[in-house]
Amino acid sequence: MQITFEKLGFTYQPGTPLAFTALKDVSFTIAEHSYTAIVGHTGSGKSTLIQHLNGLLKPTTGTVQIGEQVITSATSNKDLNKLRRKVGYVFQFPEAQLFEETVLKDIEFAPLNFGYSPKEARQIAIEQAQAVQLPTDVWEKSPFELSGGQMRRVAIAGILAMKPEVLVLDEPTAGLDPQGSREIMSLFQRLHQEQGLTIVLVTHNMNDVADYADHVVVLEKGTVVGDGQPREIFADPQWLTDHHLGLPQTTAFAYQLQQRGFVFTEGLPLTEKQLAHELAMMLKGGNNQ
Amino acid sequence: MNKLLLGRYIHADSFVHKLDARAKLFLSFYFIVIIFLCNNWQTYTLLGILTLVSVVCSKIKLKFFWDGIRPLVWLIIFTVVLQLFFSSGGHVYWQWGIFRITSLGIENAIYIFCRFVLIVCMSTLLTLTTPPLQIADGMEALMKPLKKVKVPVDEIALMLSIALRFVPTLMDETTKIMNAQRSRGVNFEEGSLWHRAKMLVPLLIPLFVSSFNRAEDLAIAMEARGYRGGSHRTKYRQQVWHRNDTLVMMLFAVVTGLLIYLRK
Amino acid sequence: MGKIIEVKDLTFHYPDQKEPLFDQLSLSIERGQWVAIIGHNGSGKSTLVRIIDGLLAPQAGTIFVDGMPVTPENIWQIREKIGMVFQNPDNQFVSADVEGDVAFGMENLGLDRDVMKYRVDQALRKVNMEDFKGHDPSRLSGGQKQRVAIAGVLTLRPDVIIFDEATSMLDPEGRQDIIKLMTKLHKKGYTLISITHNIDEAAMADRVCVIDDGKIAADSSPAEIFAQEKELIAMGLDVPYSERLKDELLHNGIEVPHEYLTEKGMVDWLCKLHSKN
Repeated sequence: MQITFEKLGFTYQPGTPLAFTALKDVSFTIAEHSYTAIVGHTGSGKSTLIQHLNGLLKPTTGTVQIGEQVITSATSNKDLNKLRRKVGYVFQFPEAQLFEETVLKDIEFAPLNFGYSPKEARQIAIEQAQAVQLPTDVWEKSPFELSGGQMRRVAIAGILAMKPEVLVLDEPTAGLDPQGSREIMSLFQRLHQEQGLTIVLVTHNMNDVADYADHVVVLEKGTVVGDGQPREIFADPQWLTDHHLGLPQTTAFAYQLQQRGFVFTEGLPLTEKQLAHELAMMLKGGNNQ
Repeated sequence: MNKLLLGRYIHADSFVHKLDARAKLFLSFYFIVIIFLCNNWQTYTLLGILTLVSVVCSKIKLKFFWDGIRPLVWLIIFTVVLQLFFSSGGHVYWQWGIFRITSLGIENAIYIFCRFVLIVCMSTLLTLTTPPLQIADGMEALMKPLKKVKVPVDEIALMLSIALRFVPTLMDETTKIMNAQRSRGVNFEEGSLWHRAKMLVPLLIPLFVSSFNRAEDLAIAMEARGYRGGSHRTKYRQQVWHRNDTLVMMLFAVVTGLLIYLRK
Repeated sequence: MGKIIEVKDLTFHYPDQKEPLFDQLSLSIERGQWVAIIGHNGSGKSTLVRIIDGLLAPQAGTIFVDGMPVTPENIWQIREKIGMVFQNPDNQFVSADVEGDVAFGMENLGLDRDVMKYRVDQALRKVNMEDFKGHDPSRLSGGQKQRVAIAGVLTLRPDVIIFDEATSMLDPEGRQDIIKLMTKLHKKGYTLISITHNIDEAAMADRVCVIDDGKIAADSSPAEIFAQEKELIAMGLDVPYSERLKDELLHNGIEVPHEYLTEKGMVDWLCKLHSKN
């Protein structure tokens, strides 16, 4: 499912003294099966933008096309509901949405809302509990008894249970420890690769962008200021600093090397694997001479 | 909802804004008491003028007062209609079964309507011109005498000001959880009453859980900062009583005198 | 300088858990030292600092703060010596205005209003928040809220400031901001204890303690701790960038030095190697 923003504008509380334009003239495309990262300084409009992806907000001006469906300011709420099935939205700290008595009951909440029979819903819940690697002994436990990392998995399974085609992730690793973060990010990577899920990731963590994304969109003050492949976006460290954005650690490191005379012919590398490989080529190449 | 409860304070540089919160709070309550003394058109006109003068002195647009009345419109209409059809006494204009319209009924209905509107205007004036924190401080000051009968006034006041502080946070939280559940296919706006009531569960449980977590965090943070209740605490915020406050109190006293004179 | 905090043979057991969290744990911290405590979620880092501040009572063991034992009798004096900044900036804000929040601790001590006014201004200046005195906290960024929390701690003139994952919910700019402020406070002579998952924050400390499985699994300088890449990963922790790169270089057949290198050290080393070729 391809997503296209066409001159999207959004204003909070329009027509009041508190009116605030959060987005203006936003146009870009998220390709089907892509892994798109949306980055930008706090308050740049990222959250407002992604809330358009499943109809939590409707455009004030312009359109959002998601698959076949075109959303404008005139779209009815009923049509927005249809959209919510196709686009799964993992909020920041998604464990805050848990409420059922048991883990499985919480996961089957969405399928039941979308009209699956209780039997089908239970089946889906079990599949998704397995997909996020929740051990079977917690399935019948209260989600509130679990550890923070496990609660987050339950919440994510609850969203995957809608069988979405697009998964929107808002800072999915916030509050997790390094191990937990690594596990959650590789879970999404697996879903992306094995099930072809289109992923839209909103994050401040440029390392995750470098490691996983194949497309980066940079927002600032509600408009798109950068749109391209990670290598293109991260090629100009000064530009990123000007826009209050960090660099992936590898790119920052390679940039220091570049200033000390190293030459990276294909642009600054993004991951430590790439950097180590390129360094090895340079250093060994030298040895051979 | 936010607007209805608290976010109503509108900053302006007016006579009413500058009055002490204690004076404003006291007079708002006092106004409710004296309006029940009104029993003819002269007395209602008197308090009507007092309200109008107060509103004008606040430099706040009339529209905001209308916003204050609007949520109560049905309640007002209901009460007025009740008075209109079920009062007895005076000349009977119309009767049908238990319903009847009498001259006294019409009079009562008009008075009740005026009473409602004036009370809402005055209390709206209080919240429009006084920041919530000052209202809380004012309440604390007015409750001071209750300490004598062992009411934990300091604790209640602190609770109140913490509650005020957390209103915007909980509003944000509510929006967030609603959005999260919407994304899982919940429709809060449509469906039968029963369905809508049922859909409050996935909203309220997470809200309770997160509020409890917050409360626990806050309790620990407060304890770490040396909070142990009791009355040995000092206060950072202080209220200053000005000459204008005394003058306004005197004005209300004069109005009360006049009111008693004008009553039937 | 002497020891400001001494924990001896601490045993702590949450009633609803089977195993004790700490069994005979000991730790001492020098005055003026900056100690980073790292460990995976649930390893007991927060519990440990709460016990030190007397917010939780251990089953056994003794704790001294500035030579004074932590007991129910002198718990309030202990809390004057220790300031704490917590993880969620929203959940430690008491007042609906910035200055009122900064003054909260002093109100609890029953200080005079003039003293409070002076110290509020002074503390807000120290954290660069003097322009936000009358602001509503809900309009501040996460980093600004944490700075207000730090100002509140400073007004009580503590010896020790504990940061309990105080940077974990902030965006990168807010985080850098707070780490900078921590460095400034360290230079002024405060003893700092920072619980963190952030490797940059831990690297700023004089000393890093790793808590794992209810024990102090490692306790040394950042350089020595970070050199133990495999152990850190096994405990579910993060590894400094230079160590990860070294690992990848080894895979590519490049000999790397064994000792821990900072990023700058690593750049220098690579440049040297590069110029030799």
